[in-house]
Amino acid sequence: MERELVVTGVGGQGIQLLAKTLALAATREGRHAMLSADYGGEMRGGPSRASVVIGDGPLRALPVLASAWSAIVAHHRFGEPVLARLRPGGPAIVNLPLVDPASLPRMTVYGVDATAVATSVGAPQAIGFVLLGAYNAVTRLVDPASLVAAMEELLPPYRKQHAAANARALEAGAAAIGGRDVRHAEVQR
Amino acid sequence: MTLELLEGNDAIAASAIAAGCRFFAGYPMSPFTGLLESMSRRLPAAGGVCLNAESEIEGVNMTLGAAAAGARAATGSCGQGIALMQEAIAEAALNETPFVVFNMARNQQDYFQATRGGGWGDYRTITLAPKDVPEAVEHAQLAFHLADRYRAPVIFYGDPLLAQTRVGVSIRPLDFGPLPPKDWALDGTGGGTGRSRQIWTWAMGKATDPGPGPDRHWRAVAEKFAAIDATESRFEQAHVEDAETLVVAFGSAARFVEYVVDELRADGHRIGWFRPVTLWPFPGAALTAATTGKRRVLVFELNAGQMLDDVRIHAADRAAIRFIGGVSISESGLAFGELMDAPVIRDRILAVLAEGERP
Repeated sequence: MERELVVTGVGGQGIQLLAKTLALAATREGRHAMLSADYGGEMRGGPSRASVVIGDGPLRALPVLASAWSAIVAHHRFGEPVLARLRPGGPAIVNLPLVDPASLPRMTVYGVDATAVATSVGAPQAIGFVLLGAYNAVTRLVDPASLVAAMEELLPPYRKQHAAANARALEAGAAAIGGRDVRHAEVQR
Repeated sequence: MTLELLEGNDAIAASAIAAGCRFFAGYPMSPFTGLLESMSRRLPAAGGVCLNAESEIEGVNMTLGAAAAGARAATGSCGQGIALMQEAIAEAALNETPFVVFNMARNQQDYFQATRGGGWGDYRTITLAPKDVPEAVEHAQLAFHLADRYRAPVIFYGDPLLAQTRVGVSIRPLDFGPLPPKDWALDGTGGGTGRSRQIWTWAMGKATDPGPGPDRHWRAVAEKFAAIDATESRFEQAHVEDAETLVVAFGSAARFVEYVVDELRADGHRIGWFRPVTLWPFPGAALTAATTGKRRVLVFELNAGQMLDDVRIHAADRAAIRFIGGVSISESGLAFGELMDAPVIRDRILAVLAEGERP
């Protein structure tokens, strides 16, 4: 089983770090992962996209995805080319209210107000981790504890003070999805 | 087997060091820069040396020097920087100094540069073109083995996807078999004794120990490359038996073609693919066999048609060949353009198939 995720947003939203965190978490669980990053030269505000593929064996997916099962949409800007490749029916986590859920009519859309959730747990800089926590609650691709461990491993020494807040953001993102039904039972490991 | 999630450049550097690379010199140039950075992080801890040279010319000549002293040594750049290295690569080929050149290319436009070379003399460079990061990890080690086995520079032909994609890989030393001793290496101990060793492109030797001279030496070097040509070509192919159409591609492009061919076969098309793993030696006999009786031979590469020449030389029927690649560069000029994409490749193949009997 191979699962593809595209993440899209603007530079500064934490797109690259959340994608890297998921890919590393899967790797640490002994699974195969591939991470492709695509971002503009701007520090903030430019296009920022990433794709993650996770599988139980060597991956068939290409580094430029031909199609993808799922998405995290942190911002609608720059997202069109990758979102056009989503296979209908898969899960999409969208960042409310920036992203209109109706913009992905063929997907199973889960809206999360990531800014409000992140702020409520004292982690306003961590909307990316809120979205990732929500995504993993829906897809259950990795153990939530693996996400926390991968996030901590990826933080450079001068960012370690954010580890606790990031962990809260991951958890709060998952809680924001709450008891909502996971329609696609096959996504469970 | 524990997998590490490494960026391609980092995985290639780690693998080269696992193969015993202990000297690296280069000058930053995207997308090669990550490989140089990784070498500078990793090599000192492995007891090696990594130098940021002041130019590509300096970097390759430092590497030649380290290799002449017997070290497993490498340099790298992208095609633009390797253009500057051509003189040293030709010298090394002709004076038989083994090292590896990592071309973390921006695109596939360096096929001629790699396979035809830009220096003087009757030489070739063994060129490995991996299709994905796991194979790049293997080739990073195979390159040193082939260099040492044949006392010749070897080119590793990478690209932006191989350089920058992060993939779970396992890196450990690979055993490719025994190698001859480096009894030719300079050790700095013979000065003034009359027993000093010499590595010289013209092989004229010295008064006390005359060498074979350029005529005999260069004929021997040419014969060595002919022997490599006859024995070291590598290729991969699939669905050749029942295919009416065969798609030829190399490097990352071949990985994309493989993906698309699988899809087309699922749709009922009788199609297969052929990938030269070594660009030189080109697997010509294998391509002749694979293309025999095929209705169409499609060539896909992201350039104006370079490997196309080798396909024309070796295809069973030249009239069956159709070029479906092209020049395609990103806006930045540093990466592949929109042609490196499965749906685009699929459309190009289907367009030819729709034309009917012959391409």
